[in-house]
Amino acid sequence: MTETRSRPARSRLAEQVRPERPFARFRWTVTLVLTALLVWSSATVDASWGRLTEAPGRAVGFAQTLVANASLEPLGVALEAMWESIAIAWIATLIGAVCSFPLVFLAAGNLTRGRVKQPVRQLLNVFRAVPEIVLAIALIPFLGLGPVTGAVAMGISSIGTLGKLSAEIVESIDRGPLEAVEASGGGRLTRLRWAVLPQAMPEIAAFWLYRFEINIRVSAVLGVIGIGGIGGFIAQAVERNVFERIGLGLVVVILATMLVDAISSRLRRRLIEGPSPAAQARRERASVAGAEHEEDPE
Amino acid sequence: MSAPTGERPRRPSPVASARPQRRPRKPPPQPFTLLGLVGLAAFTLVTAWDWVLGIGFNPIALPGELADSNPAMVEGLFNITDADWRADYAELLRTHFTDPDSPWLLSLDSRIGSGLVETVQIAVLATLVGAAVSLPLAVLNSRLGAPNRTTHAVIKTLNNINRAIPDVIWAALFVVLVSVGALPGILALTMFTIGVVVKLTSDVVDGVDLGPVEAARAAGASHAAAMRTALVPQILPSFASFSLYAFELNLRGAAVLGFVGAGGIGQAMNYYWSQLDFEAVSVIIFVYLVLVVIVEQVSISVRRRLV
Amino acid sequence: MIQFESAEVTYPGGVHALQGVDLTIDDGELIVVVGLSGAGKSTLIRAINGLVPLTGGQVTVGERTLPGLGRRELRELRAEVGMIFQAFNLVHRTTVLSNVLMGRLHHVPSWRSLSGLYSPEDREIAMQALELVEVVEKAYVRAGNLSGGQQQRVGIARALAQQPRVLLADEPVASLDPPTSHVVMRYLQQINRELGITTLINLHFLDLARTYADRVIGLREGRLVYDGPAADADEAVFEEIYGRSLTADDVLEAQGGL
Ligand SMILES: Nc1ncnc2c1ncn2[C@@H]1O[C@H](COP(=O)(O)OP(=O)(O)O)[C@@H](O)[C@H]1O
Ligand SMILES: [Mg+2]
Repeated sequence: MTETRSRPARSRLAEQVRPERPFARFRWTVTLVLTALLVWSSATVDASWGRLTEAPGRAVGFAQTLVANASLEPLGVALEAMWESIAIAWIATLIGAVCSFPLVFLAAGNLTRGRVKQPVRQLLNVFRAVPEIVLAIALIPFLGLGPVTGAVAMGISSIGTLGKLSAEIVESIDRGPLEAVEASGGGRLTRLRWAVLPQAMPEIAAFWLYRFEINIRVSAVLGVIGIGGIGGFIAQAVERNVFERIGLGLVVVILATMLVDAISSRLRRRLIEGPSPAAQARRERASVAGAEHEEDPE
Repeated sequence: MSAPTGERPRRPSPVASARPQRRPRKPPPQPFTLLGLVGLAAFTLVTAWDWVLGIGFNPIALPGELADSNPAMVEGLFNITDADWRADYAELLRTHFTDPDSPWLLSLDSRIGSGLVETVQIAVLATLVGAAVSLPLAVLNSRLGAPNRTTHAVIKTLNNINRAIPDVIWAALFVVLVSVGALPGILALTMFTIGVVVKLTSDVVDGVDLGPVEAARAAGASHAAAMRTALVPQILPSFASFSLYAFELNLRGAAVLGFVGAGGIGQAMNYYWSQLDFEAVSVIIFVYLVLVVIVEQVSISVRRRLV
Repeated sequence: MIQFESAEVTYPGGVHALQGVDLTIDDGELIVVVGLSGAGKSTLIRAINGLVPLTGGQVTVGERTLPGLGRRELRELRAEVGMIFQAFNLVHRTTVLSNVLMGRLHHVPSWRSLSGLYSPEDREIAMQALELVEVVEKAYVRAGNLSGGQQQRVGIARALAQQPRVLLADEPVASLDPPTSHVVMRYLQQINRELGITTLINLHFLDLARTYADRVIGLREGRLVYDGPAADADEAVFEEIYGRSLTADDVLEAQGGL
């Protein structure tokens, strides 16, 4: 069967010309560059690769030590440190949200001219570009070393990311309502209130929450330079071999972060998708209760 | 969130033919909105207040605190308003860029120079290894790509745990396992890369065109072959873009690793900080910042072309 | 030979998409399945390669009988049955040749399919399939850059690369304009005639059905309501199948005039 099929009788087949296989320049370039990077980095970096083979064995031993030393005694301190990380992240997110909000509308191309937009975007980019740890170190001479320093450093960083991404959300809104408000004589603020915010606000707010999730991780990272929180707690425990603190700290940071992520992502979904159809129907039923005439379907 | 209703005339409808209609009552405000606002305000007060559960963040006093600084540190780190300081700093940078005898020069084997190079190496290796591992994991982390529900659930939970452990903590743990140096840094950022890339990429999987996957299945392809030929080409640009994004994040993350002994520029930063040599810290910050910004610009322009 | 015996398909939502279908299709036949949208045409076709599981009765394709095939046997069955889709279902970002090579997936070892390093023999089969539908000159072009008609020909080539015994086409021309529809139908007819592949095509347009089919099968609400030679399927038969009088929407030629 196969033979008959791969040998069709028609002469039209003879007239066709098979193309040459083209040289995949892009693919080769990428492969070469990545391979070169890999070779250069792994050959020159000062890493003792041999230790990798011992790592699994050590990991088992380390895990056993953690289990053997498991204790709920430091739970209070660990929870306190975790809460501090969350608090730092929350304040940082608020700083970012509050300060970026007015800038968003100046950085959105569909609301302002390029002359305004570009400098605001650049400002946001500067905030975004500086790593949090650099900001934190730079703030130490002014605020000392503590949670507020971390919150302000992360807040400044958040202004950059939140501003940029919110501006992109605003730029993606439907133009229709903007024109409708304009056509009915609405001014700049009216347009913001009735055409821009209703469309962009749920997504922007969802983005604030998402940034909060990220900031919890960042605040844990900044913990190691001494701003407080769970990061410093665990790092110090590791440094001093306080095993019951390492194990408990890990459990606390994993559970707390996953919990906050779960709550936050549910809130985000609720913000973007609106109330569940069932809840919506209940509210509508309540509001038209008693009406004898059905609402016009259109 | 509602459309503007405007003022309705209170007279009967001028259109005689309109059938009589009952106006609905205004629905009560959404409980979600109300509870949300109250909850957020309470949470903010609790976390901002200066007490056991708060960090003592006072936005009104903040400008005052900022003005009241530690002069010695400011002097060293950045006294940008002072013209003399600026001139000194420029001179400092110039000599450290050019003077071969400077102890923390950017010559590649000085503390700063090697730290910077090591930071780049750590970021490169962690991104390459992490991204390579992430592609199959991202496929398994999606509903479409997982061969069965158990695999999906296990991979998802493991990656959520991975993402919940901050990269420095990974670094600290790897220092225990493989001792200090660049290796624990590479391993820590590899874990971080996997967390970011798997999460973002598997979100893209749920939005792909299912047609080709169905075609592959209809041709009798195995699950793995169907995913490789019909799914992977569709998610590849997003995957590449997320990997580059992870590289940017890794370069930033690599600075902090040194504080727990996992190599990179953070080690130099930590060293000079403990020596109270703020000028050196300042130079590190400056050069590192330049590096981050350059890499980010390149990466962003590549990513824009990808997707 | 394909044989339906009291085949039933009830979807999870409770829709009876196929009810007590008995049908025998001989090797080499070209059958067009007609029916209104929702009549169960796609379900009938997908029951043959197990994309839709039967909930009652059985379907025999060659020596294999559904349901009751293991995963492996099901894949073997699918490899012998090529499928062509309304939306073409090509991977837009890869080349035409890579898409056609998907038809070889069952035949190549997994290290080849996972690495994309297909053997010269498989490439040759794919190239010949492209030549059969006369798009071989596009072999290294991104599939997404082709016109609709070209994409569907690539879809046919992909099915041919399986070297199938049966071809299933689910509304293959519904996304194409009238002239292109005829081109695609002619390729399917030629393939059926020249290669002797049993071919089932879902169609909506009665003139296309009458022009290209040997035999027409009519479905209404999941039941077989007509089965006869295409020559006998006149307008009265179609009105019977559709359960309503014919409109311009049911004739392809009328579409071009709009
Ligand atoms: N995956 C599915 N789940 C539930 N119902 C389905 C599904 N696919 C098709 N149906 C229903 O089965 C019936 C037949 O569908 P289908 O075979 O696609 O008809 P046709 O191809 O003739 O338009 C329709 O009522 C359709 O709504
Ligand atoms: Mg259909």
